[in-house]
Amino acid sequence: MRKLVFVLGGTLILVLAAVALSRDAQASRQAAPAANDSLLAPVLSASDTARLKGPSQPIFFRHDIHAGQFKINCQYCHYSVSVSSEPGIPSMATCMNCHLVIGGTDSTAQREIKKVRDAFNNKQPVEWVRVHYLARHAHFPHMRHVKVMGPNACATCHGDVARMPQVFQVNNVRNMGFCINCHLERDVSRDCSVCHY
Amino acid sequence: MDDIETQGMDRRRFLTVLGVTGAGTAALSGCSTERVEKLIPYLVQSEDQVPGIATTYASTCTECSAGCGLHVRTREGRAVKLEGNPAHPVNQGRLCARGQAGLQALYNPGRVRSPMARQADGTFKDITWDEAIATLASKAVAAGGKLAVISGAGAGTFSTLLADWTGALGGRVVRYEPFDHEPVRAANRQVFGLDALPSYDFARARHIVSFGADFLETWLTPIEQQRGFAESHGYRGGEMAKHVYLAPRMSLTGMNADEWHPIAPGTEAALALAMAQVIMSERSGAPQDANALRGMLSGYDPEKVANEVGLTADQIRRLAREFASAQPGLAVAGGIGSQHRAAAEVCAAVNILNYVAGNVGVTVRFGAGLPTADGYGAMAALVRQMAAGEIAVVLVHDANPAYALPRAAGFAEAFAKVPFKVSTATMMDETAALADLLVPQSHALERWDDLQPRAGVRGLMQPVMEPVYGTWAAGDILLKTAQKAGGALARFAAPSWEAHLKAAWQELGRAAGAKDGQTWWVETLAAGGLYGEAPSPAPVRLAATASQVAGTRPSFDGDGAFIYSAYPTSMLFDGRGTNKPWLLENPDPVTKITWQSWIEVHPDTAADLDVREGEILRLVSPHGAIEAPVYVYPGVRRDVLASPMGYGHTHYGDYATGRGANALDLLGAPGDAAFVPYLSTRVSVEKTRRYQKVAKTEGKNRQLGRGIAEAMSLTSARKGLTPEAAHHAEAGGAAHQINTERELEAIAGFGEAQHEAATKGNYLGEHPQWGMAIDLSRCTGCSACVTACYAENNIPWVGEADVLRGREMSWMRIERYYEGGEDGEPLEVRFVPMLCQHCGNAPCEPVCPVYAAYHTPDGLNGQVYNRCVGTRYCSNNCPYKVRYFNWYAYSQRAFPEPLNLQLNPDVTVRARGVMEKCTFCVQRIRGAQNQARLEDRPLRDGDVVTACAQACPSGAILFGDRADPESRVTRAAADHRGYHVLEDINVRPAITYLAKVRHQVEA
Repeated sequence: MRKLVFVLGGTLILVLAAVALSRDAQASRQAAPAANDSLLAPVLSASDTARLKGPSQPIFFRHDIHAGQFKINCQYCHYSVSVSSEPGIPSMATCMNCHLVIGGTDSTAQREIKKVRDAFNNKQPVEWVRVHYLARHAHFPHMRHVKVMGPNACATCHGDVARMPQVFQVNNVRNMGFCINCHLERDVSRDCSVCHY
Repeated sequence: MDDIETQGMDRRRFLTVLGVTGAGTAALSGCSTERVEKLIPYLVQSEDQVPGIATTYASTCTECSAGCGLHVRTREGRAVKLEGNPAHPVNQGRLCARGQAGLQALYNPGRVRSPMARQADGTFKDITWDEAIATLASKAVAAGGKLAVISGAGAGTFSTLLADWTGALGGRVVRYEPFDHEPVRAANRQVFGLDALPSYDFARARHIVSFGADFLETWLTPIEQQRGFAESHGYRGGEMAKHVYLAPRMSLTGMNADEWHPIAPGTEAALALAMAQVIMSERSGAPQDANALRGMLSGYDPEKVANEVGLTADQIRRLAREFASAQPGLAVAGGIGSQHRAAAEVCAAVNILNYVAGNVGVTVRFGAGLPTADGYGAMAALVRQMAAGEIAVVLVHDANPAYALPRAAGFAEAFAKVPFKVSTATMMDETAALADLLVPQSHALERWDDLQPRAGVRGLMQPVMEPVYGTWAAGDILLKTAQKAGGALARFAAPSWEAHLKAAWQELGRAAGAKDGQTWWVETLAAGGLYGEAPSPAPVRLAATASQVAGTRPSFDGDGAFIYSAYPTSMLFDGRGTNKPWLLENPDPVTKITWQSWIEVHPDTAADLDVREGEILRLVSPHGAIEAPVYVYPGVRRDVLASPMGYGHTHYGDYATGRGANALDLLGAPGDAAFVPYLSTRVSVEKTRRYQKVAKTEGKNRQLGRGIAEAMSLTSARKGLTPEAAHHAEAGGAAHQINTERELEAIAGFGEAQHEAATKGNYLGEHPQWGMAIDLSRCTGCSACVTACYAENNIPWVGEADVLRGREMSWMRIERYYEGGEDGEPLEVRFVPMLCQHCGNAPCEPVCPVYAAYHTPDGLNGQVYNRCVGTRYCSNNCPYKVRYFNWYAYSQRAFPEPLNLQLNPDVTVRARGVMEKCTFCVQRIRGAQNQARLEDRPLRDGDVVTACAQACPSGAILFGDRADPESRVTRAAADHRGYHVLEDINVRPAITYLAKVRHQVEA
């Protein structure tokens, strides 16, 4: 009996570990950017949204509509990515640039856009949940990478955000592997103190 | 036990099941240890704020009356670093330790956060601004003219408004500054008939004689004077000025002198007049009207004064001759530490000395219009009035007389008699603690304001961030009170202080001929103010009263065996620095003591008294007593005991309260004097039989021949000798090889291996090689670099207990070594700023088991914090001991709210168990490299400035690329005076020190 418990328990652990590891591996393989056709972003049902990856945000902001369907440039909202280490979260006023007028076509969109308008009018900025955590002891300069890879290379690291209804982290930045691989491929500095200081 | 058995579960099975389930749960839920972080956007993006990039504002420092210009670096709406404004004529881009620590005044946890009113039971309660203004308005009007205001000496739009406002109510303003230079003013009235303070041109002087004026520490405008001193006294092109310091105690300024003579306290005037007599009798060149002084000067023959001064007549004659022949010279007097009852006579005598040597109008220039306070006399009159009940309302602004005046002056008792007392203090200091209403003003960085430190220079202040707490600018307090009160105050109708200030500046703009007022205003604000030359005054002549100057001896109270000297330190100033941990932890430049007060005792005196360092002595004067530990110091006269001011606060925040002994407690009431005489009493000594470990960072104060702080004589420097050659030339020997043949072979072989290693991987290709040059002939030991480094690199202060364990975290420290001072040799002091040398052959790198300490391709000794596991082998191996370990979570303790707002976001805050050290401000290097890359250009010399190099008022530190043959660092490192510390162990430091140069001193 005891032996059976051990065997089952051990197998269970192995299986779970394998699943977890393969999920990571799959995520890395999805790094390649996909073509950005101007297709209509799909209408999502409740069960679709339940299966979306990534943290759920206070407002269901859909990048596939804004960046994909309407082709709004990444840097329209994330404005400081080409001059600063910080990419910049758009201010509420940026949202209101359009949503002052645009109220939404269906009831879901109207409900979410109302949240944006209420936040702006009540002077309560939306508290977005961070998706990409880089350890604080590593200093990543966005502007250097944008300078080298061009202003449209966001998808290289962030995945095909223009097709994401809900943003999720595509590449693992909890360790250095992803960063170092790219630096090796392009033969640029791998000196520790370039980022670790 | 039985329970478990009967349930059929034994311990082994329980643990098994637990283990399986536990692992399963963890794997199933995808358990993450990550916290959820929120990103909160702006409502409306501010135009001048880009996240991740600093926005810099120009402002003015208010930590002393010098009024240096600031560049305030802010990140995401918080001030994180104070730097000097390069355009400001007073400091020209440099900033002292006190100025750097202004951030800890802004973010001090002990700040008064809102108006407070004293309740019937004596405690303070928070009230609203409306209530406070209403109370103040009604009390001010009801005072019926019996209103007094005590303010600091700063001159600007606010001081004018304050004077007008008070005058409209029938009251008067007493401008009180603890260090107010009243003796210098009185002397100028007597000798030149001018009621003003001159400016002193140290840069032009070829010979400086200071009669106890600590011009590198707290006297007048220290940064500007230090810059000038570095220009003239720093060795360059075969020339350097000579500096002679004549005072009973060797202050930091005295440590930077070529000669220090411990003359008897109270004899300075006689000595200055004797020197003037020598010059008048031997030289012709004095202005015509100086002949009127001959009669008076004849009474000061060097033979007559030699004995009482403590020098020989020949020495006096030599000092006078050297002073007069090195033209132009500069003699200064009026330091607080030497301010005895006859201080005005000393300054008058020094005026005469300058005049006969022809310095007035050359290095002593009137017309500068330095702001003056009203002198102690006005304060004493006010104290008498308050004690007699003649004052109904008193308002205290930018002053803390309950602490800064000696207890015996009776301020606190008289103040308590006033029915209604108001304070605008930002901290609950001693005076505020006695008040009835607190209306805390905003810090200088949070408000609009201006300051005129001297004629022609008007510095602006602007708010660089939202106020940390609910405080108001003092100008708004006055205006809102005026609007509430109406009546006599109704004419102060400006809608806000900001509007009032801008209107005043619009006038200035019109007067300056600006065509477009708005553009002029924006440009002036960005520059930090208006900078013009002071008007040239009419030539200065002797007044009729000049011949009445006498070398009067001051009196000292009591009959104790020792004369007592209370002196200000460059860190704490008049006591305003004591609430800032950076200034408490920055070791005193002279004694290297942190967090504690002390009593300086000469070694011979200590032997006579049979006391050692750390013994707590009780000093008793006719007016009071204090207790403090002994610090044995050869730089004080045998019959003098000295103690620093600034300690012994009873209120001033947690860091200051109850710390140390208040040196002013031993002083008597100044009485009718025009100024407070800090050197005016004798003390007797009692042993308490108690002992305290002195929290000092000094190790051994002698080099023991290790060549850490090198110096050479001026003769050797002029010959272009290296420090080693100079040693042998001066000692009379021949040069010898430092390393043996075998060592040289090993060094060469190792060098080859290093070169080979430097051609692989990352190291291949052109990289800058960062390095530094530190000129020891310019470094004065002021320690501004130390605090700048703390501010820039988020270095935690560790507190007294950990300093006692030797765990101070200062990445840059100033080492102070004595030479001589024994067997009749004069005492010489040398300073060495010591920081990570970024060795090319670093002993710390090969011993790190995890490659946290390694050599970067661009020449830095890198420290990767997240790799460090805390072996501490690197620190063990470092010969310079410049690696610092986080034994505890110092960073959690050192940054309580709101001090954590000061943290620099570009620098990682280190956790417990991690080694840290100077990184050559790698965040600044990377920032400059990123910027250059964005602009498609290479890095230029001067793009990267480390925090220490930026702060240094002497310009002693140069940073740059050693691989660039044109950079200033490379050229400085090639100087013949250049050497490396501990050169013979072959660690190849990237920092070259330039040896100090000394004047030859005859007996």
